[in-house]
Amino acid sequence: MNDDHRDSERQAGVPGKADEAGEKGIDSQMLGAFVDGELDETQRAAVLAALEHDPEAKARVAAWRAQKTALRALCNQPEDAAAPMIIVRARATWPRRLALAAGWLAAGIAIGVVAGTFVPEGLRRHPEPATFARRADIAYAVYAPEVRHPVEVGAADETHLMNWLSKRLGRKLSVPSLREYGYSLVGGRLLPGEAGPAAQFMYESAAGARLTLYVAHIPTDETAFRLLRDGDRRTFYWVSDHFGYALSGPISEAKLRAIAIEVCSALGGKPESWQ
Amino acid sequence: MSFEADVIGKLPQLRRYARALTGDAAWADDLVQDAAERALVRRKAFEPGSNLRAWLFTILRNLYIDQLRARREIAMDDESAPWRSLEAPRAEVDGLVLRDVQQALYHLSMEQREVILLIGVEELTYQEASNVLEVPIGTVMSRLSRAREHMRMLLDVGPAHKPAPLKVVRTKS
Repeated sequence: MNDDHRDSERQAGVPGKADEAGEKGIDSQMLGAFVDGELDETQRAAVLAALEHDPEAKARVAAWRAQKTALRALCNQPEDAAAPMIIVRARATWPRRLALAAGWLAAGIAIGVVAGTFVPEGLRRHPEPATFARRADIAYAVYAPEVRHPVEVGAADETHLMNWLSKRLGRKLSVPSLREYGYSLVGGRLLPGEAGPAAQFMYESAAGARLTLYVAHIPTDETAFRLLRDGDRRTFYWVSDHFGYALSGPISEAKLRAIAIEVCSALGGKPESWQ
Repeated sequence: MSFEADVIGKLPQLRRYARALTGDAAWADDLVQDAAERALVRRKAFEPGSNLRAWLFTILRNLYIDQLRARREIAMDDESAPWRSLEAPRAEVDGLVLRDVQQALYHLSMEQREVILLIGVEELTYQEASNVLEVPIGTVMSRLSRAREHMRMLLDVGPAHKPAPLKVVRTKS
């Protein structure tokens, strides 16, 4: 299915089957880089000189160049006269977002009013900030600096990771890709939560900055979206369908908020209500 | 220039890539539509000064992989496979008949096809391709070599004997 494992062999300098055609003559990847203009002057000159004595490599370069030209010609075929229009629908515009927010607010007030008549005072006060957000923040502080063991199960084993944590938390969990924000999933771990197991997923940027997404079952349900600050760390947290989610990291509030909105939406929440 | 204008300016290239990748004009147009929309909604995720085209390719590729997963039963040797509905090009370039090149292209695995398109057609640098594909440069280079040799072999013998089902070769995390 995927033969990239052969790359490590190559990079480790193990000769053999890795590149049937390329081993005896000029390195095949070097030839590719030559064709693609990725070599500096010295390397280029070296390849050019070597090609003079290597008809096989020369034929390969010619074939690859022909491929490249042909592919470009193929992909740049004149299109059907009427090029279809591309319609870019901006998602909810500001006025619409405001309207949505107003709607949620109204709903919130209505529920509040109704609930207010029945629910004893003590039950209505939300602990502020929610305990799970505190726990998420602490878990970030504990595990994000870990160099060797930031997670229990790495992202390479993502299926196992998700199955395991889903099983422990009693719900099919999924984590959104944050690639477009420059963060990739490192993995996750199981943690003790307030009333049962919790999961922490860790993401990392190319520069080594880390974000964590903490997920725990919580008995109360509310849609509020809140921020917890602790030193440099920020934690945005929300509750959706009896699960508390907290996204923590040391990045700017605006950026973390944008990512949190994305995460919430990807996990089936309703971020419109926070706008 | 505004971000919107920048994105719109890249749409033709995005469309060309989507068409070549999927071999299906309608699917490609949907992908471009979705990718452009997503790019505008997530503009904050774009790092100013980095390569916008590569970022758009990344978004489009992620969408494509998601959609492939949903359609994974489609096999390339299937008579109804999307690329068969493309009108066959007839021109000849450097001794290669485009129709054969087109067939060979869709007999490559998606992994090989995307690397050959990003570098051969879209002219991304190895570094940019490594970002889009989320693999190290060394992997880009070896995949590219294999893709080119595979294609060369297909063009030599003709793809008829090598039906390669389209498969999802990796998933994003």
